[in-house]
Amino acid sequence: MYVELKDIDKRFGSFQASDGVSFGVAKGKLIGLLGPSGSGKTTILRMIAGLEAPDAGDILIGGKRVNDISAAKRGVGFVFQSYALFRYMSVFDNIAFGLTVQKKERAYIKERVDELIRLTGLSGLEARRPHQLSGGQRQRVAFARALAPNPHLLLLDEPFAAIDAKVRKELRSWLRETIGKVGITSIFVTHDQDEAVEVADEIIITNKGRVEQIGTPTDIYKNPATPFAAEFIGESLIIADYGRLHGFEKLPGFGSAVLRPEFVRVVKPEQEPYPHASQRGTVAEVLFRGNSLELSIDVSGIRLIAYHSLDGDVFQPGDAVSVLIHRLFLLGAREVKKTENASLQNNTAFFI
Amino acid sequence: MRVLGLRKAPSRRKGVIPGFGLCMGVTLSMLSLVVLIPLASVFLILKDFSLHEFWNVISDRQTVATYRVSLGCAFTAAAVNVLFGVLLAWVLTRYKFPGKRILDGLIELPFALPTAVAGIALTTLYSNKGWVGSLFERMGVKISYTTVGITIAMIFIGIPFVVRSIQPVLEKLDAQYEEAAAILGASRARTFFKVILPEILPAALTGFGLAFARSIGEYGSVVFIAGNIPYRTQITPLIIMNKLEQFNYPAATSIALVMIVFSFIVLFGIHVLSARVNKIAGGGAGG
Amino acid sequence: MKGKITRWVLVGLGVLFIALMLLLPLAAVLVYALRQGWATFLSAVTDTYAIKALQLTLLAAGITLAINTVFGLFAAWAITKFRFRGKQALTTLIDIPFSISPIVAGLVFIVVFGRIGWAYPLLEAWNIKIVFAVPGIVLATIFVTFPFVSRELIPLMQASGSDEETAAALMGARGLRIFRRVTLPHIKWGLLYGVILCTARALGEFGAVSVVSGHLRGKTNTLPLHVEILYSEFRLTAAFSVASVLVVIAVLILILRNIVEHKLKREERL
Repeated sequence: MYVELKDIDKRFGSFQASDGVSFGVAKGKLIGLLGPSGSGKTTILRMIAGLEAPDAGDILIGGKRVNDISAAKRGVGFVFQSYALFRYMSVFDNIAFGLTVQKKERAYIKERVDELIRLTGLSGLEARRPHQLSGGQRQRVAFARALAPNPHLLLLDEPFAAIDAKVRKELRSWLRETIGKVGITSIFVTHDQDEAVEVADEIIITNKGRVEQIGTPTDIYKNPATPFAAEFIGESLIIADYGRLHGFEKLPGFGSAVLRPEFVRVVKPEQEPYPHASQRGTVAEVLFRGNSLELSIDVSGIRLIAYHSLDGDVFQPGDAVSVLIHRLFLLGAREVKKTENASLQNNTAFFI
Repeated sequence: MRVLGLRKAPSRRKGVIPGFGLCMGVTLSMLSLVVLIPLASVFLILKDFSLHEFWNVISDRQTVATYRVSLGCAFTAAAVNVLFGVLLAWVLTRYKFPGKRILDGLIELPFALPTAVAGIALTTLYSNKGWVGSLFERMGVKISYTTVGITIAMIFIGIPFVVRSIQPVLEKLDAQYEEAAAILGASRARTFFKVILPEILPAALTGFGLAFARSIGEYGSVVFIAGNIPYRTQITPLIIMNKLEQFNYPAATSIALVMIVFSFIVLFGIHVLSARVNKIAGGGAGG
Repeated sequence: MKGKITRWVLVGLGVLFIALMLLLPLAAVLVYALRQGWATFLSAVTDTYAIKALQLTLLAAGITLAINTVFGLFAAWAITKFRFRGKQALTTLIDIPFSISPIVAGLVFIVVFGRIGWAYPLLEAWNIKIVFAVPGIVLATIFVTFPFVSRELIPLMQASGSDEETAAALMGARGLRIFRRVTLPHIKWGLLYGVILCTARALGEFGAVSVVSGHLRGKTNTLPLHVEILYSEFRLTAAFSVASVLVVIAVLILILRNIVEHKLKREERL
């Protein structure tokens, strides 16, 4: 592990920002720290950078304990949420700042800054001031400035928060590609699950100062480890009385369940291939969602959400439909149980 | 109908909040009565005064000497104030120490203390028998009744302007700038001079201008310590006062006009300068 | 370690500067006032002329306060709640008294109402005296403190915008009600702050008042002018005794100012 956190505790007054946080990051990975605001993700990032000191626990970078090493000497690059570009310096001087501090030779600085300007696609903007740049360009300058002194670890605090939704998508893939090109171990903080899923190799989900789950985006999506992870990732509908859904039984200790729209399949009653595993419902509402239809369906007193292809059968509110639910995540106190539709399993076994 | 339509247009522009006519009426008439008409009357007095006479009065050797004393002392005082103003604003925004709130409150003292009281207190303190003056007297330095004394009184009167200009800028300055510089390896000193100083420069300039303008015009706290020695410690407001006491109104008004014009130039200059500095960085703090 | 030393050096320098430049003069006034004991102090402070001067000072400050508050409210309302051409010019004109030397401020009233002034024949006919009389003192005080209230209110009212007032007006509220119920709660601390600054300056104004007063003891003498007269007569202890009264008032105003500023900042954060 290149970066390691061991049992980190951090309090701000009565607010517990980190509560026994431990995780490791392998060299060369791009990690997303994902969580709602106030979950302590930014605090973790700032402690790794050396901008905050943990109350207890160890932080290791490259196998060395860095708790007592100042931010300047940890060899990390940091991209701030609002970029913190120096307003009175040109793009060139901003990027060169870290190198001039290190008293590098002028020729080297010029070469290095030019290289980064090319890498970040800022050619021709060297003499501009930060306020003469667009949001995306500012982010690139902040990125180049952090990379200039050749850090071993790059930390980014909500790198896309200050950018318009339109440009954000573009920048995500750009950032992912560029970090890949540079090959630097990177950790970024975000509250946006789409962003984390799209950009990160691995995601660390934080909540209330604790780490909930660590894994690849698909892994977390398919096998959420905690109720929080199950609810936070993907589109989730919480169902309390899930025992009334056909093929599922209420288990003791699991008070509710998460149902994702993609676990639900809707057909006309007469076309149902698995009549034993499905149940009847009524369409309550049909919403056009651009690439699909969103159906709200009442099934034994529970309102479900399902997606339906635009090319499939046409439904109107009031239509009777057959609903097949093939999976649920049952939520316990701290654990999640993935459950398949029991009747469907029996049926398939029977017929095959 | 047409008339109605015409009347509606301006009222729509002003919105539905009532009281425009009343407020403008009261504002303009009070402003005219108290400020504009009296100020304009200055020119009425000068109408019997030829340009030649006017020039003779304002370029008289003794008068010119007062400009030199006023400007020189005010400039020195404002410069000293910028130095200590930056220091005080920094200390008050960045450090925690016992008595900080009291120190913060005291900055405002020169605004609250009647200038005449400050004047006699400073004069007595810095005279050759005063607590401070006697110390300097032993080293052969006189303060009261010299330009040094005038400068000290002007420092007293100007310090709040500088501190209060810089303090809000420092308070609002995002800690991320300093953190960014620190992560990139910059020392505290380098961070201050390269990153923070440019940020507070426009505010420091404004503070300098306000302190400078106030010091030039200041009377109460300076008049006692100045001593009114022609050519040496006579300040411009004092020579106006002397001319008034001699009932030489045209002369007093002429010099007053020079002062009015000059203070406008200073304030305008500061305005232009800080607008330019702001433009380089692109608008307000944080932008 | 290095950071700590820098820090204490800087704090030390700041405290030293304030102590030497601001606190020492304050202390000097009190020490000199009590140098010859309580009896001398009391006799100087309760002197008929001192009492008369105090009364005139309070009268002038009171009238000034009333007029400038009214002006400040009307001007701030006009400038922040409506759009009209020349707004910037109006704001600049209101601020003029800030940039004018107190001596010049006094002089302009001599130029209008004095023996050489254009209004003098009129006043003569009606037998009114302004210069070298109480009205002149009041006018000069109003002039130098003219922008104090409006200057505090304008940025505050600009920041809060006029949406709430518009909403109230659309619901049929009249001007005074809108002001009392919608605007005033927003600006009450700012208004008080402006009033306090105005009071401090009005009580202490020296230069402008000195020009128009004529220094008639017991008639046109304010407290700061009384201090000057005592001082120039070399009655130092008496001068400092009277000055100490002003110092006490100044310190009280300073404390009040800080309390109100604290409230104001808390309000802004909400």
